[in-house]
Amino acid sequence: MMATLMATLAKFGASIAKEARILGRDRQALILFFSMPVVFVLILSLSLRDAFGDRPGATFPVLVVAQDRGEVGQSITQTFRANPHVRLALSHDASEAQARQWLMDGHYRFVVLIPAGATDQAKRRLGEVLAGVPPELRLEAPVAIRVLADPALRADYRKVLESSIDLVLHGVEMRLGRAQVEETLRVTQGDHFMPLPDLESARLFREVQGETVTRQGRGQTPSSVQQNAPAWTLLAMFFLTVPLSVSFIKEREQGSLFRLQTMNVPAWVVLGGKAVPFFAINQIQMVSVLAVSVYVLPLLGGDRLDLGNAPLALALMGASASLAAIGFGIAVAMYARTTEQAAGFSSAMVMIMGALGGILVPKAVMPPLMQDLANLSPLSWGLDGFLDVFVRGGGIADVLPEAMALLAFSAFCHGVGILRYQGRI
Amino acid sequence: MSKPCPLSQQYQAPKEGGPAIELVGVGKLFAGRDVPALDGVDLSVPHGTIYGILGPNGAGKTTLMSILGGLLKPTYGTARIDGHDIAKGRAAIRRVIGMVPQEPAVYPTLTVRENLDYFGRMQGLSGPHLQNRIRACLDLAEMGDYADRRVDQLSGGYRRRLNMVIGLIHEPRILILDEPTVAIDPHSRSLIHQRLRELHASGITILISTHYMEEAEQLCQHIAIIHHGKVMVQGRVPDLLAMQRDKSIQMQFENDPPPDLAARLRTLPGLAEVHVMGRCVRIAAEHPDTLMPTLLTELQARGLGLRSLSFGNSSLAQVFLALTGSTGAPK
Ligand SMILES: Nc1ncnc2c1ncn2[C@@H]1O[C@H](COP(=O)(O)OP(=O)(O)OP(=O)(O)O)[C@@H](O)[C@H]1O
Ligand SMILES: [Mg+2]
Repeated sequence: MMATLMATLAKFGASIAKEARILGRDRQALILFFSMPVVFVLILSLSLRDAFGDRPGATFPVLVVAQDRGEVGQSITQTFRANPHVRLALSHDASEAQARQWLMDGHYRFVVLIPAGATDQAKRRLGEVLAGVPPELRLEAPVAIRVLADPALRADYRKVLESSIDLVLHGVEMRLGRAQVEETLRVTQGDHFMPLPDLESARLFREVQGETVTRQGRGQTPSSVQQNAPAWTLLAMFFLTVPLSVSFIKEREQGSLFRLQTMNVPAWVVLGGKAVPFFAINQIQMVSVLAVSVYVLPLLGGDRLDLGNAPLALALMGASASLAAIGFGIAVAMYARTTEQAAGFSSAMVMIMGALGGILVPKAVMPPLMQDLANLSPLSWGLDGFLDVFVRGGGIADVLPEAMALLAFSAFCHGVGILRYQGRI
Repeated sequence: MSKPCPLSQQYQAPKEGGPAIELVGVGKLFAGRDVPALDGVDLSVPHGTIYGILGPNGAGKTTLMSILGGLLKPTYGTARIDGHDIAKGRAAIRRVIGMVPQEPAVYPTLTVRENLDYFGRMQGLSGPHLQNRIRACLDLAEMGDYADRRVDQLSGGYRRRLNMVIGLIHEPRILILDEPTVAIDPHSRSLIHQRLRELHASGITILISTHYMEEAEQLCQHIAIIHHGKVMVQGRVPDLLAMQRDKSIQMQFENDPPPDLAARLRTLPGLAEVHVMGRCVRIAAEHPDTLMPTLLTELQARGLGLRSLSFGNSSLAQVFLALTGSTGAPK
């Protein structure tokens, strides 16, 4: 009993070594397996960065030209500095023409122009208002704060930035008005005037707090790199079903698979011997994509991927996604007649499952019906699991349902494959 | 194919202990085909013999061997190898048989040695014993110099030699070879013949399919001729030759004979049967020697030139032709 098991394990080991050797002799394929997901993640994370702009981790460059060094200039600068989505550049002396040029050259996506003397002008106008000068007789015009925006900047983002400036200016109006009124009171009532209530600190409303509620009831939507890194890892993993199924069918065409069937070699040894090297490739694919997203992407100006703090959950997701992909490849191989059939069918299926599962288009932007359909795709389960970790800070318990779904899919495919191999279905 | 075959009734299976391989009424019908690939095959291969399965292309040789190897299930019938039923005793059967498929079944991107090593391990060998077996197989195939060449860099003949010795790596007691000598040069062929004789001498049972009559005649003690999935005849080679002797006349013409030739010849007295196949004609007669003069006169009168004429034949090729109406040679 023990001896038989050891003998079978020896066969398993030899099968893995054989497969690894055959794969190792196909250099071009190996290079393709490993470079494809990395290149995809780099290109897509960098080029789709703005499409995911207003999301955690994503920032865009804003220039504030504060020719005014008074309260107006300072307040606006302060607000932008505090905005986490903005990378602020501040200038006190740039001209409008220069600012326009920088914008056109793509250095900034949004420019705020605060003219020199804006604070003084505002104060003078306030004086006229408080003195009761009727609007048509006032000498000072309202201060013009202007913004220039990249037309490619999404209109809703621009609107948000503009209204945040408006909000700041309201605050400035209120502070300046209060100071001016107090000044008047001091003049008329002496130093012991009755102080005005501090309306600003007596905020009647708390600051509005936004919260996104997705249909799954789980917080935030992913940033570009959070979406792309797992998405393309998964797609690359599943694309390995093409070479996996092709290599099976080649082996059948070459007759070696039949030869093995005339020997005492269990089906799981034959299938597993093939699966293990492909599993290893899948894991290397995942690790390399994650490494690139963490270390290389920021160097190229992209956002750094935050891996969360559940490495075990990531490993579980990587393993179960890979097993699902391998099971699929084996099932395809057992049913396809020719290598062309296997390659065509598996690549088409992977693309469809990818598109459906939110790999090509994030699920978050899909309409509800498509989001429901997306749940049919194993790639969507995989992606959800990774996003649990990256975006929602989940741990192993949070990814368990997705991992289980992938493992169940894998078991089903492997079962179908083994029965078919043994000629039972 | 329902041609009556007088030989199969006269043939008696040898009684020398249980046969190494035995098929009883084995049939195989492939899905979507209306003619069976095997049609009630009964076969008995005694231990320690070289047994030839002879048949033209499409006769069912590979189908029969695939059933024995467990690659196909028979639609009906049963078979036993070394006493084990093929449906139930697979694991035991796999231990005693070595299969050599018709097409080389090897890994093209692995070397000769790596192929032997892998299949050796799959047969449960390991350690020094495996290394010895690999060396022995390389010697058997005279491929020592090619051990570290990738198979896809070998010529077809060498690939076939490797294909054969992979079937020997685990020293099987029963060796099943499907047309091992197709498409190889005379040297490789005689090497394979020599190896098979050596294996036979060491007591191994060999089942070999071929469509080369001479090969079967030279190599095998027993043969079965199958055609359209049926066993036409089986028995010891000398017996088969003796049975056919003195009963027929074979002729080959220089040119195509006129279409009415068969009809004309049938009018001759003492002639039992005429079979025309292209330029070949086989005539069965009770007393060919008395028929001969009349026959030659008739042919001369019709201006037909003879290329060859044999009479009282002793070649399996003619037995084969007689039974299957085909030369069996590749077209
Ligand atoms: N998988 C299959 N599906 C359908 N028909 C098949 C299949 N395999 C073989 N056949 C048919 O069964 C018959 C016997 O084929 P088989 O391969 O056994 O012949 P063979 O004697 O080995 O011929 P050859 O000398 O050409 O190798 C042929 O008519 C063939 O077309
Ligand atoms: Mg054949």
